[in-house]
Amino acid sequence: MTQSPTLSRRSTSSDLPQPRKSRQRGTDTRAGYTFLLPWLLGFIALTIGPMISSLYLSFTNYNLFEPPKWIGLDNYISLFQDERFLQSVGVTVSYVVFGTPIKLAAALAVAMLLNSKRKGQGFYRSAFYAPSLIGASVSIAIVWKAMFGDSGPVDQGLSFFGINLGGWVGNPSMTMPMFILLTVWQFGAPMVIFLAGLKQIPGELYEAASMDGAGPIRKFFNITWPMLSPVIFFNLLMETIHAFQIFNAAYIISNGEGGPAGSTLFYTLYLYLRGFSDFRMGYASAMAWLLVIVVGVITLIFFRTSKSWVHYSGDSK
Amino acid sequence: MIDRRNFLTTVALGTASAAVLAACGQPSPAQTGSADNPVTINYTWWGNDDRAERTRKAIALFEAKNPDIKVNGNFTDFPAYWQKRATEAAGGGLPDVMQWDLSYLRDYGQRNQLLDLSTVKIDTSAFDKSLLPSGQIRGKTYGIPTSTNAFAVYYDPAKLASLGIAEPDGSWTYDEYNAFLTEVGTKSGGALFGSSDYTSVWWMFNIWLRQQNIEAFTEDGKLGFSKDDLKEWWNKVADLRGTPAIISEERITQLLPKSAFGSNATASEVTWDNFMAGYLGDSGAKELKLVPVPSDDPDNLGLFLKPSMLMVASAKTKNKDAAARFIDFMVNDPEVGEIFKTSRGVPASKTQRDGTTFEGTDKLVVDYEKSIEKYLKDAPEPPIVGFGTLEASFKRISADLNFGKVDVNGAADAWFKEAEDLIKQNA
Repeated sequence: MTQSPTLSRRSTSSDLPQPRKSRQRGTDTRAGYTFLLPWLLGFIALTIGPMISSLYLSFTNYNLFEPPKWIGLDNYISLFQDERFLQSVGVTVSYVVFGTPIKLAAALAVAMLLNSKRKGQGFYRSAFYAPSLIGASVSIAIVWKAMFGDSGPVDQGLSFFGINLGGWVGNPSMTMPMFILLTVWQFGAPMVIFLAGLKQIPGELYEAASMDGAGPIRKFFNITWPMLSPVIFFNLLMETIHAFQIFNAAYIISNGEGGPAGSTLFYTLYLYLRGFSDFRMGYASAMAWLLVIVVGVITLIFFRTSKSWVHYSGDSK
Repeated sequence: MIDRRNFLTTVALGTASAAVLAACGQPSPAQTGSADNPVTINYTWWGNDDRAERTRKAIALFEAKNPDIKVNGNFTDFPAYWQKRATEAAGGGLPDVMQWDLSYLRDYGQRNQLLDLSTVKIDTSAFDKSLLPSGQIRGKTYGIPTSTNAFAVYYDPAKLASLGIAEPDGSWTYDEYNAFLTEVGTKSGGALFGSSDYTSVWWMFNIWLRQQNIEAFTEDGKLGFSKDDLKEWWNKVADLRGTPAIISEERITQLLPKSAFGSNATASEVTWDNFMAGYLGDSGAKELKLVPVPSDDPDNLGLFLKPSMLMVASAKTKNKDAAARFIDFMVNDPEVGEIFKTSRGVPASKTQRDGTTFEGTDKLVVDYEKSIEKYLKDAPEPPIVGFGTLEASFKRISADLNFGKVDVNGAADAWFKEAEDLIKQNA
């Protein structure tokens, strides 16, 4: 993904390809950086800068108002003695572990359905993609809360079939399924990527397999899965990282408190509460950096294991 | 001819520098306004729709009387209110004037976020001298009380009548109150709960401590009660949890943002007497009544008048004068009293109190505060730094208790750990 900032494509109106002069290239580079400048400034001022200061703050006791006091690793140590922190880790991990695979499975299944040539596919593709456009918004979280509340549509619908769960919002053991449904419902983004990947698989492979008598399951595991593995890997990685960062829905559905009984105390929500409700910015910063490290390590593990199951075209394997 | 690449470079540079220059070129706001060119101050408060409507009326009245000042109003609910203030304070952008709670006065006042109001012109001559110190820290006045409130037990007489339960007279022990809650739950067959778990109310716990002459906090800001005190408190309703006497935490969560009492799910509630207007609005009940809180010592109810809210200004406000005039108006003007009645509490300023006619339920609140006068003790000092956080964690851990996630011993351990940790942090 390292794109050179040089504007590599020159004006197409030039008559003949001429050898470039280095002076011209310098101008190219300068123009490129100039265009990048607003983004670079933003990146340095709004991302790198705060990250560095948050790294510093994570080693301090900082209450927002008074100058930070250096306390070394105390924040990191007390994290592991904090029951609420451990709870937030548990909540987040179960969300990632259950939510992400289900979401990807749904995305892949729908992508395969939409890959066939039928009438109105364009409409279905848009319809299935729509939730991921609006899913992260505040209003959807509010709608979700209303749907799963006492005598909301979900409660009434289930009661119709004789399942009386009551509202899910107030029931600590039902909030996690509710959040997983919310994320699964937003499978549109990985679905579109899967769809693009599926289109790349040559039809001849399936034809040849059919000739040899392979059934649909065989075709899936021996053709679709290996051919699609780079895309599956990409989606798995992105969705996992994304799932760790869930905040909006958790904040709105639980009124910013992580309730009921801490069952929606997601990592980022607890981080926010620590920082802005309890004025423990140093502690919150330590939590943020721990999350960065953990997500980094998980990414690394994914890349390591990918060698055994992800196949790129042109690989000798 | 313009060279394409140079042209683009110039445009890009120009755009970038224009943005930078625009950011630097913010004109600084004027210090004083006039009718043609009014200054604008921001005001923020917490509360429900009822309070929002009343506040908007008060703001309109203020703007009509002070054409040189415009007031921008903004409100949220209580928990989110404090998260927003923290974010703003960190960025140096607190609103000019804010409604404030005693629990957070030290957090911000002691950390130089609030304006010392003795340096501006606000008339406090009509205030009870014993009340003003609750807005003062180390000789500086950070908040002016708008009004007072006191703890009480609310009940809905119509609901009790329909169940055939006699109205309480307000002199009751905890056992008697528990019996009352159980009676409501039993007679209604679970359709109506007695109340929400009153032991989850942080201020009620403080009052119970005062009933035994225990101060919740020592003068040097440490905890004045023991873990056993807390266990005894939470055990008061141990037999009632999970019965129709006390509404389940599941239901309470579902009913949010309305309270259980405001949603007509319970027959009584222990809380501040100024919630009357909010409860009436939420529940649609014709009438709600107030009686004193239970106490095992009939001569010591542990009650006190608290500033129900304070008006404060940001230390960084550029419009000190306008802010002071707005605060003065909000706490002293009789017409403001007419607008709010007792929804903020009973007006603290005598000018405002005398200028307001209290009828119906508002009269009940005023009469209630008069009726408990002989039991009242001094208003509490501004509580310790982090008091609001302690209150929030008390509420949260009490909820865990009602969810059956922890037992009383575990809950007391958890709260003490958080409290001691917090006190150490802020030491």
